[in-house]
Amino acid sequence: MLDAPRGPGSLAPPAVHHDPGSSTAEATHLVQMEARYRGLFEATPDAIVVVNQAGEIVILNVQAEKRFGFRRDELLGEKVTRIIPGGFAERLISDGMRTPADAATQQFGAGIELTGRRRDGSEFPIEIMLSPLEGPEGILVTAAIRDISVRKAADAHLVQMEARYRGLLEAAPDAMVVVDQAGLIVLMNLQAENAFGYKREEAIGRDVTSIIPVGFAERLVADGMRSAQELVEQQIGSGIELIAKRRDGSEFPIEIMLSPLAGEHGILVTAAIRDITKRKNADAYLLRKVEELNRSNEELGQFAYIASHDLQEPLRMVTSYTELLSRRYKGKLDSDADEFMAFAVDGAPRKQQLIKDLLTYSRVASDERRLRETSSQDALAHALRNLRKAIVEASAHVTHGPMPMVFADEMQLVQVFQNLIANAIKYQTHGAPRVHISAARDATGGWIISVKDNGLGIEPQYFEKIFGMFQRLHQRDEFSGTGIGLAVCKKIIEQHGGRIWVTSEPGEGSLFQFTLTDSDKRISTQTGDVPCR
Amino acid sequence: MPVIVLLIEDNPGDIRLTREAFRESGFAVDLHVAEDGVDAMRFLRREGIDVGAPRPDFILLDLNLPRKDGREVLAIIKEDPNLKTIPTVVLTTSDAEADIVKSYQLHANCYISKPLEFQRFSEVVVQIYGLWMQTATLLRNCAEA
Repeated sequence: MLDAPRGPGSLAPPAVHHDPGSSTAEATHLVQMEARYRGLFEATPDAIVVVNQAGEIVILNVQAEKRFGFRRDELLGEKVTRIIPGGFAERLISDGMRTPADAATQQFGAGIELTGRRRDGSEFPIEIMLSPLEGPEGILVTAAIRDISVRKAADAHLVQMEARYRGLLEAAPDAMVVVDQAGLIVLMNLQAENAFGYKREEAIGRDVTSIIPVGFAERLVADGMRSAQELVEQQIGSGIELIAKRRDGSEFPIEIMLSPLAGEHGILVTAAIRDITKRKNADAYLLRKVEELNRSNEELGQFAYIASHDLQEPLRMVTSYTELLSRRYKGKLDSDADEFMAFAVDGAPRKQQLIKDLLTYSRVASDERRLRETSSQDALAHALRNLRKAIVEASAHVTHGPMPMVFADEMQLVQVFQNLIANAIKYQTHGAPRVHISAARDATGGWIISVKDNGLGIEPQYFEKIFGMFQRLHQRDEFSGTGIGLAVCKKIIEQHGGRIWVTSEPGEGSLFQFTLTDSDKRISTQTGDVPCR
Repeated sequence: MPVIVLLIEDNPGDIRLTREAFRESGFAVDLHVAEDGVDAMRFLRREGIDVGAPRPDFILLDLNLPRKDGREVLAIIKEDPNLKTIPTVVLTTSDAEADIVKSYQLHANCYISKPLEFQRFSEVVVQIYGLWMQTATLLRNCAEA
């Protein structure tokens, strides 16, 4: 504790009481002590002014000169209100009523905050700590003054940050709940109020298990053992899924992401909570659809088996026995009987052919694993080998240009060539069929494959119809066939992400064209259904 | 000496058709019929009422049978050291890949889908007979058998 100075105007630091009966040694000691106190007084980082009971400044240190911008002699004897306009006097009175021991326990940080004024009139926030000082002139007051501009700015920043944090919390699309280490809710945003059906005031202070009954606390513990860095790296979407409970007791699925928040009272945990009911429903819907699709595919497989076996068996009986009947009894009954038998004999195999064609069509499955770089040249050659008999019988002349590498299921491509060329040869009434197959680049870098014939041609109104199932343009006795070939072609090409179309004029032949992906551009092949022109 | 054939088939229409085909072929065939897998095994093992049954020269086997399925019958025949040497021809309506693969895995001697028309069916029966009874050299001609 500093002692009283000698008097107003003295530059001496506060000194110990002067005992009139002291020896020279004592006097020397006093001088030394005084010098030491003065050193301390001047070296302290706080501005110090000593004020008498009239409110006049009697002593000040170099820090006080610097802080307030006055020279020492300008302030001595001046009212303290010159540098601390308000609050000091009131404080003086209240502090004056306290004992020195009380004052001694008062620390910076617990002092009062006032405003200091510099010589140029500018003001700055200060914190002052007062302590009484008994001296020969009565009670003086030592005021230690600390410039708290920096701390004030930091506080303001903190307030701003908190406001910003709250703003973020409110603006977040997810429900946000802040929980302390005891698992109590300390904060929640509007979205959380809406999601859980609690008013903020009701929720704050509750245990988090009232809104997330299971898993949160365990998570908290687990997360508590992880580093902040790990927590920061954790993102929504990689969060865990839990069940949340609303105020009315109803439950909904959530995904939760936790992040630490260092606060005054230890680490708080901010929980971002996302209601994933919709996603869960969508997942369930998707799963159900996949199951339905699988079941439907299985049923289709079963249908294929039934069609290939169980449907054929009775049909074969009809066919075989009408044939046997015809063999043994043709010409032995009357002409009506012969005609009836002929119809029966003719009908049964056609029905079987329809079943077979239907099966062929239903078996055109898109299997991505079978799509690979394929030589359309090889596929064409394969198709021509299969058609050798028909080509020879019709004396057809089949030619082709250079054929590219494409991205396709080779067996299916063979089927397309085979069906198109077989049609080109079949629908012909005059002279030898001439068929030419060629390939050209399309605008998107894929290929257009063309099969051109000199056959009957097709009227424009049938351009689309001919690609439908069992669509025929000719009477049965003109041309045989069930009308499945082009439907199969269309299904195959569309499953390759391409399209198929025809241009023709009756009597001028037909030009069938389809697109295929280049073997280098296999990405984006599966574009789904492309309407054919 | 007629060729002994065991036809394992449940469809009376097919049984008759097979008889007719053999009849039209003019071959001397002693055709025995088992209408399900259980009857077939009893015949082949000469059990119960079939105690005096002859050993067939070849077997025509349908796959879809009541009681004991044709695939089971095939498996049993081909695992039995005594029976596995009998040529067994699967003759069925099915042309399902799964049936074809399964039959060969069970060591069927050949797999034939029944043709739709009687004419073709008749030809197939003649071809089966021709291959196994005329073209192939059979085990029954070997002294050790």
